[in-house]
Amino acid sequence: MDTVFSQYAWLVPVFPLAAFLILTAFGRGMKRSGPLVATIGSFAALVLSALILFEHMNGADEYNDSFTWIGIGGYSLTAGFDVTNLTALMLIVVSLVAFLVNVYSIGYMKDDERIAVFFGYVALFTFSMLGLVLADNLLTLYIFWELVGVCSFLLIGFWYQKPEAKAAAKKAFIVTRVGDVGLLIALLLLFWYMPDHDLSFAAIENVFGQSGLITEGITTLIAILIFVGAVGKSGQFPLHVWLPDAMEGPTPISALIHAATMVAAGVFLVARTFPIFEASQAALDTVAYVGAFTAIFAASIAIAQNDIKRILAYSTVSQLGYMMMAIGLGSVTAGMFHLFTHAFFKALLFLGAGSVIHAAHTQDIREMGGLGKSMKTTAWTFAIGALALAGIPPLSGFWSKDAILAEALHANPALFAVGIAAALLTAFYMSRLFFLVFAGKPKAGGAAHESPAVMTVPLIVLAVFAVFAGFVEMPFAGAGRLGEWLTGHAAEHEGTALVMLVSTAVGLLGIYLGWLIYVKGAIPRDAVTKRAPWLTRLLERKYYIDEIYHAVFTVSLRAIGRSLDAFDRHVVGGAVRLAGGAAVWTGRAATRMQNGQLQSYGLYVVIGLVILVAAIAGRRFW
Amino acid sequence: MLSSYLTMAAILFCIGLYGALSKRNAVIVLMSVELMLNAVNLNLVAFSKYGAVPSLDGQIFSLFTISVAAAEVAVGVAILIALFRSRGTANVDEFDEMRR
Amino acid sequence: MGGFYIDWFGELVAFFAFAVVMIVGAVLMLTLTKVVHMVVSLAAVFLGLGGMFVVLEAEFVAFVQILIYSGAVTILLLFGIMMTDHQAVQHEPTRPVHEIVSAVAAIVLFGILFYAIRTTEFEPSAPPLQAGVDNAMEIGKQLYTQHVIPFELVSVLLTVAFIGAIVIAKKEAE
Repeated sequence: MDTVFSQYAWLVPVFPLAAFLILTAFGRGMKRSGPLVATIGSFAALVLSALILFEHMNGADEYNDSFTWIGIGGYSLTAGFDVTNLTALMLIVVSLVAFLVNVYSIGYMKDDERIAVFFGYVALFTFSMLGLVLADNLLTLYIFWELVGVCSFLLIGFWYQKPEAKAAAKKAFIVTRVGDVGLLIALLLLFWYMPDHDLSFAAIENVFGQSGLITEGITTLIAILIFVGAVGKSGQFPLHVWLPDAMEGPTPISALIHAATMVAAGVFLVARTFPIFEASQAALDTVAYVGAFTAIFAASIAIAQNDIKRILAYSTVSQLGYMMMAIGLGSVTAGMFHLFTHAFFKALLFLGAGSVIHAAHTQDIREMGGLGKSMKTTAWTFAIGALALAGIPPLSGFWSKDAILAEALHANPALFAVGIAAALLTAFYMSRLFFLVFAGKPKAGGAAHESPAVMTVPLIVLAVFAVFAGFVEMPFAGAGRLGEWLTGHAAEHEGTALVMLVSTAVGLLGIYLGWLIYVKGAIPRDAVTKRAPWLTRLLERKYYIDEIYHAVFTVSLRAIGRSLDAFDRHVVGGAVRLAGGAAVWTGRAATRMQNGQLQSYGLYVVIGLVILVAAIAGRRFW
Repeated sequence: MLSSYLTMAAILFCIGLYGALSKRNAVIVLMSVELMLNAVNLNLVAFSKYGAVPSLDGQIFSLFTISVAAAEVAVGVAILIALFRSRGTANVDEFDEMRR
Repeated sequence: MGGFYIDWFGELVAFFAFAVVMIVGAVLMLTLTKVVHMVVSLAAVFLGLGGMFVVLEAEFVAFVQILIYSGAVTILLLFGIMMTDHQAVQHEPTRPVHEIVSAVAAIVLFGILFYAIRTTEFEPSAPPLQAGVDNAMEIGKQLYTQHVIPFELVSVLLTVAFIGAIVIAKKEAE
């Protein structure tokens, strides 16, 4: 089938880039029109992405275009874009969420001085993320990967007058950098081992698809290193520490970057380089176990947090763990499906939280209550998002989580148990969050009013997607449609009714528990805290991971830095000063020789003569 | 024999050199310079008698040297007197205009 | 052979006698305190040198040396002393570093010259000069034929020198 629109896929990132450039150049005077420019840019990207998606849904072929970027000797680096079914899907996710966040921010950031700068950064991020999705080789992807990290840094630290925001931005950048080093080493290894040094994904699929071309050990190493990069970007354990702190940034970008898109880039990377992982069982196992552990680890922390955004952040970490687990168990389909649905309902939840924060002027859920009465739209859409996250049928989250759990039951029942446990915790903390914020009596002095339409309309749009997006892959009737479309292989097994029943039951149980504690009050809130205060404290303090990292890494690195600085200042600087001092000293000595005394000059002449004659006369001796 | 004369001249020359470099009174410096010139004359005359090509040229050369030295002393003393009149001192280490 | 031996011996004695006079005079010149005494020892050096010229059979040069140097130059220097600072007794503060270094330089220079003299082989291509009794006549002949131009130039030089000396040393007209 013709690829009419896919040829122009390179334009998709260009629209937001143009918006960024315009805003950066003229932003000062564009407080009113700036947001509009950015929104138009992202809308254009959305329209083109939708056209490309429809084309591919109707069976268009893959399209690839690249150009030679640098030629070094006999080798040339290419850069280009790939429009496959997978990338078309990601394009629509990114551009849709970006567009809705743009619209939402027009209302949310209305009173901010630097609103044009904000929209410029968001446009730059959109450009980078779209570029990352479209990249056709690992090097181009890495470039956009770094760009996305920079935009995240800029946006987390957007309110840079706040010291917490500055610290959080630095932390995000540094921690993801640790992961990026792994990705860079993997890139170098691939460059070394790939025939023709070809880093494009098509070549990777070819080479790793055949066994024996590259040894098992190297394959595992490369896969693990790529996974390290994904761990950093997607906030898996042990590099998850930056994501909750990243909530210091404005809520719209928490929705865009740290829920729907950038953190999904790690999952996307693993999916793109899946042939490498497929060739190494050890790597797949690593991915699955790390993902599963993260899922339950983060969920356990979330139940003890009191900041609305932080609960959602840990929830994101946990859900990303689910996606990684899915891919590790061998099913790219399940992972990408969950990524697809998660983008919608998580963005919905974050934007809803932003609406709540905007109205209640606080982020602590213990100070909120009864907002459901005055903020009907927010409450309803938030409820839909929460139910989707908890995995209640027939919302989208149910289908995607079900796909993952089915895969787990089939491949590794231990991980299935972990997944179920995490699902229980997920349902519990979401219901706790919902009931504490929206149910109950309004707190005194509540002037909470519903947010303006520009903020609630995106919520409604996302809620619609959260409801219906799951139907693209239902385990019966047309089973495996998404999977086949995404990966080109036929679906391997149908979902089982057992899994559906168990996951629904667990989700309902979690919600019921939350209702019991926080609405009915049948179980007192501090039941656990009274009996086992250490447990509560452990969870609240995030298992003290931040403190451990500080003690182990920060302190020692700072000490090394200080000692190196002292070395530089005293030893190296001292040597330089010595050289300079020697020159000055020589000059001063020479000055003293110029004393105007004729006899001194005569003496210097005689000394010179003696030395000269001695040298010439003594030549016979050497 | 020649080497004795040459050694003698060398001794005189070095004594004159030391005096020219380290004496403070300008007249004494002039005297040391005369000593050095005399050493040269001795060399010339010794070579004229015992040298590689013995001839009268050495003696004639020394005559010229003596004349020039005499003229130089005259002018030197004149300059010294003029300087003494304007500066009031005859010590060479107080003439340090070349310092700057 | 006996005559030759005595000739040699005589020259050696005379040489050493005059050498002693000269060296003593030179050293005294440096070490005496009163300037006038220094001039007198310098005159002694000049006289000794004249004697040595006689030993070298350069009588005319010896005569000129005594006439000009120990006569005119010495008197000139005495005039210089008289007109400048005739109670100059060298008791001003010394410059030890400078003096020691210049002494060392002079000694080293002498060492090098001595080494050079010692190691050079002087091979005269002809026997020593026998100027004869009519030394002056020979010199005069050479002077007016071969070296006439330098001779004339020296006379010009002397004229210029004495005019210059007068101009410089004359007191400004009141």
